[in-house]
Amino acid sequence: MSGLFDTLSVIILLTSFVLVANKRIKSYIKTFRIQSAFIALAAGIMGIQSITSEGRIDVLVVCFVIVVLKVIYIPKLLNRTYSGVEYKVEKDFILNIPILVLICCGLVVFTHFCIASIDGISQGYNDLQIINSVSVVMIGLFFMISRKKAIGQIIGFLVLENGIFITAMFATDGMPFIVDMGIFIDMLTAVMIMGIMVYQISDKFDTINIDKLNKLKG
Amino acid sequence: MSYIIYIIIQILTIVLTAPLVNGIIKKAKAVSQKRTGPPVFQMYYDLYKLIRKGTVVSDVSSWIYKAAPYVVFSTALAAALLVPVSTLVTPANSIPGDFILMVSVFALGRFFMMAAGLDTGSTFGGMGSSREAMISSLAEPSILVCLFTAGLISGSTSLDRMMTFMQSTGTPLTHPATVLLFLALLSIIMMETARIPVDDPATHLELTMVHEAMLLEYSGRHLALMEYGAAIKQLVFMTLLVNLLVPHDQIIGIAGAGAVVLSLLIYLLKVILLAVLIALVEINTVKFRLFSIPNLAALSFILSFLAFLQYFLMGGGHVWFV
Amino acid sequence: MGALQIENYIQMSVLLFTIGALAALALGKRDRLCNLVSNGICIASGLLLMVASVMKLLGASGLIQIGLLRSTLPFLALEMKIDNLSALFLMVLSVLVVCVSIYSIGYISHYYGKRKVGLFNFLYITFILSMIFVFTSSNAVFFYIAWEAMSLLSYFLVIFESERMENQRAGTLYIVMTHIATAFLLIGFMIIYSYTKSFDLFGSSDAIPDTAKNIIFILFVLGFGTKAGAIPVHIWLPYAHPAAPSNVSALMSGIMIKTAIYGLIRFLLDFLGVQHVWWGALLIGVGIVSAVLGVAYALMEQDIKKLLAYSSVENIGIILIGLGVSFTALAQGNETVGALALIASTLHAVNHTFFKGGLFLGAGSVHYATGTKDIEKLGGLIKSMPITALLVLCFSLAISAIVPFNGFISEWLTYQSIFAYISPGQPGTNILFILAVAALGLAGALAAACFVKLFGISFLGLPRSEEISHVEEVPVVMNAGMGILAALCLLLGTFPLVIIRLIDGVAGELIGRSVFDQLQGGFVITWYSMDLTGTAISPFEILIALGVLTLLALLAIRVYGGKYIERKYGTWDCGFEGINSRMQYTATGFSKPVKIVFRILFRPSRKTEAIGGTDYYPDRIEYKVASESIFEKYVYLPAYSRVRTFSRKAKFLVQTGSIHNYLIYIFITILVLMAYNRFV
Repeated sequence: MSGLFDTLSVIILLTSFVLVANKRIKSYIKTFRIQSAFIALAAGIMGIQSITSEGRIDVLVVCFVIVVLKVIYIPKLLNRTYSGVEYKVEKDFILNIPILVLICCGLVVFTHFCIASIDGISQGYNDLQIINSVSVVMIGLFFMISRKKAIGQIIGFLVLENGIFITAMFATDGMPFIVDMGIFIDMLTAVMIMGIMVYQISDKFDTINIDKLNKLKG
Repeated sequence: MSYIIYIIIQILTIVLTAPLVNGIIKKAKAVSQKRTGPPVFQMYYDLYKLIRKGTVVSDVSSWIYKAAPYVVFSTALAAALLVPVSTLVTPANSIPGDFILMVSVFALGRFFMMAAGLDTGSTFGGMGSSREAMISSLAEPSILVCLFTAGLISGSTSLDRMMTFMQSTGTPLTHPATVLLFLALLSIIMMETARIPVDDPATHLELTMVHEAMLLEYSGRHLALMEYGAAIKQLVFMTLLVNLLVPHDQIIGIAGAGAVVLSLLIYLLKVILLAVLIALVEINTVKFRLFSIPNLAALSFILSFLAFLQYFLMGGGHVWFV
Repeated sequence: MGALQIENYIQMSVLLFTIGALAALALGKRDRLCNLVSNGICIASGLLLMVASVMKLLGASGLIQIGLLRSTLPFLALEMKIDNLSALFLMVLSVLVVCVSIYSIGYISHYYGKRKVGLFNFLYITFILSMIFVFTSSNAVFFYIAWEAMSLLSYFLVIFESERMENQRAGTLYIVMTHIATAFLLIGFMIIYSYTKSFDLFGSSDAIPDTAKNIIFILFVLGFGTKAGAIPVHIWLPYAHPAAPSNVSALMSGIMIKTAIYGLIRFLLDFLGVQHVWWGALLIGVGIVSAVLGVAYALMEQDIKKLLAYSSVENIGIILIGLGVSFTALAQGNETVGALALIASTLHAVNHTFFKGGLFLGAGSVHYATGTKDIEKLGGLIKSMPITALLVLCFSLAISAIVPFNGFISEWLTYQSIFAYISPGQPGTNILFILAVAALGLAGALAAACFVKLFGISFLGLPRSEEISHVEEVPVVMNAGMGILAALCLLLGTFPLVIIRLIDGVAGELIGRSVFDQLQGGFVITWYSMDLTGTAISPFEILIALGVLTLLALLAIRVYGGKYIERKYGTWDCGFEGINSRMQYTATGFSKPVKIVFRILFRPSRKTEAIGGTDYYPDRIEYKVASESIFEKYVYLPAYSRVRTFSRKAKFLVQTGSIHNYLIYIFITILVLMAYNRFV
């Protein structure tokens, strides 16, 4: 079974690479949706496992929440935000895309170096999944740096959160229910606030390029 | 004896199937666009007609121009000898060669094709060669890293041994490294065989031509050889993908000549499925701007590199050098 | 015959070279005779040297000692010692010398009556002699003298056509860089001496502590790396090699930069012994950077010889990758892979000597026939110079690592040694190794692009200028010299075990492990296949297969297609009349896509300027493209300006011009030295 999770973790990692290589806002949202769907799949399989072996139902509930929140609701919310602002294609990155992708690859290597030396993680099959998941976190963070428009930051944050979630899930076979729910609600609030912020920035500056925010300083 | 049988089966399968695969891709694209499209066997008719036609040769050109089609065709076929269509017919000592040799043999054909593009003094030819030089140099690192990883998994760089290994242990498609390698090889096929995100095989518009631009001056039997060579190259890469990552020979229960036939049939089925898959990818993507191709190349390199990494994270490996 | 030992051959050869040098000076007035005699002597003594070195590689084991001069000065003993490593490099040197000398008989003819042929040939032969001594010297002092002589003589050859300003500047850059390198080597030798109390190259290095070994390693990598032209200390190479006359460029690029490889193997691998994995890792890193950047810069060049010079940087990179893998494996105690990688890297050095030598000779032929080295002005030469074109095509295929030529074999072995050494549990080196694989692939493809450009733009298509539309083929001797090299490239590519058999002795002697048995299928020198760990390749069979398949294709087409009917017609011109040579793709245009893709390396800039006339109808338009060379701009120029400012300041502070001050300096120095002697 763990072979399947290995593959899923690789695919999830791959979607974050696809995200970095993209430049259309619509594709960002689509990629995020696909990534969340794979996470939901992993959580679903894990949920069924835990029902059959331990009788716990909470992982399956988490899976359900992911489907509702991350696959359906948040992308929809983002789509609405996105249709409200003027631009569709990201044009200015801090570096060009192939180099961004190569840097992300370097991040994976770096994560591998750092994680592999931690005792307790480096044994057994789990390390593959954990390295991949932590890499997703790193790439999410890096994505936030590499995009100049505000929607990039929202997506990056969401991917980062996805990374943290699967790290926890793969490491512990499902976190306590209440922790998961807490995170989800935090995230939902954050996305809503950020959505409103994007409207506000767009309104004030006629652009959502966050470079312009430095005009705010006194 | 088995040596000769191997070569005959190999050459016949590749030579006979290559135009068909091209036809299937075209047909699948046509069907999905609600067109009738040319018949799947159209390329055979085309080739036959081209062979019988006279040729026009540019008076600027030299012997390179006339030699190039033969070099392209024979290098494609020679490379095909290194990629077994079915591991059941591979003799103990097949053609000595590995994927590094395969890449180099293809490079010979490509060298002549690019030189021929420059030979006629036409602007189009030069443009095609220059773009081909760029695309090939972008694709080369991913091909090598990708096949190197597959080689490390199976403990050899020789393609028939790699395939035999994949049969015996049955590395399933769900293995994380294999998934990555599959995607990497798929994007390499797109780059190497002039498929849509990189090059549009159906157009003769100067903005988009790469492969066709180099062949623009060719006619008659030279053109036939060039196109045949390209089709064979495409099939060789597809064979590499399907036989390396989706091995099938282990599911055949019987032995003897019947098994070989069955194995070849399954091989054909896999190739056809892959052709349809390629057609689907082509339909669902737009042609990239020339300078967006590095993005695809970077992605396919990353896929190969991650496969390498995943393979080592798994702690796999073979100590085989004694 | 039994009387003639290997040392006799070598003594005879050295003697003959000396006679040749003197004869060249003596006959200086009579250009033609001088040229014939001195090159004839070179060929003869080159052949003697070749026989001797092959005999050494095949048969005799152990050291061959030839004492030349012993003096009463403490360390000065001009003594030659030849082991297999020296013999290998001597063999390569002699083969190249023979071919280049045959070529020179024709090539130098354009100097007759214009330049001092006698002086040129004197420098040429003494340059060869100095390289012989570099490869055979038995102690560091002799090595240093020979090395210095080699640098100086090649400097004189670089500035031989000194009336051109750029040649002089190239020479100055070369002599400065090479002396900085020599300084590093000198410090290294001193450190070695301070511990071992001996300059013997074949002695033991046990007395040197580990830290000192690391310092010596860094010094030698810097010193030899500069001579080899490894990035980032390569900057002299693309200027100096094109400036020299082509036959000298062939020697410089073919064998002189290999003296650095010899030095790295001799001093680090043989004398010091590889200690740490990071030594290998550093070499691989330098190799990766040199291989990729070297060929990338080569692709941007429009001057044939400059392009070839940058391509030398690339090949040095490939050699260094092989050497680095060998070092890494040896440091971890894996002697088999160490030997395999050493063979790969030395084989690439040998191969590079042959094809790069040939390419420089080809560039010389083009220059001889057309008077230009600028690719943009050439075109269509294949019709007027068919043999030169064919030979250059062979070398181009060889250098692009394409079967069935020799460049492929050494790259294959490099790949295989990397493949053999990647294993789990050493993540750092593994990632470096896979990056090396990617770099080799990228460099190979870019090299192919580069040489398609070189061959395609200059030999194919229409002539790009009026002067070159009626050139003549170069003299037969020039093509003969190149032809031998091309034949060697093909031979070593199809029957690689011939040369590997010779190189195996080197690995056997240095590492104590022979891998030849693993490389061969059964015979001693089999032309059949190379079998390595279950992976075999047979370039010969591929060659046969290509031939047979071509014949089959011809046959099938004849059967189905009938007779071949050909019609000559102009190139398709889109319906416009009069397509001309200016409409062809230029060399700059050819490499532009790569330039844009790798713009981070080149930082291209372009400027279009309309001059005169109105806005819509300018009189002429100037279009300039430029690319920066990063190392010069960001490393060397700042360093240069720092040194300059420092010197200016020093001029006022220290160099006052007053004689008293200088006397005080001398006085203080003496006092300090005396005090040092007393107290330390």
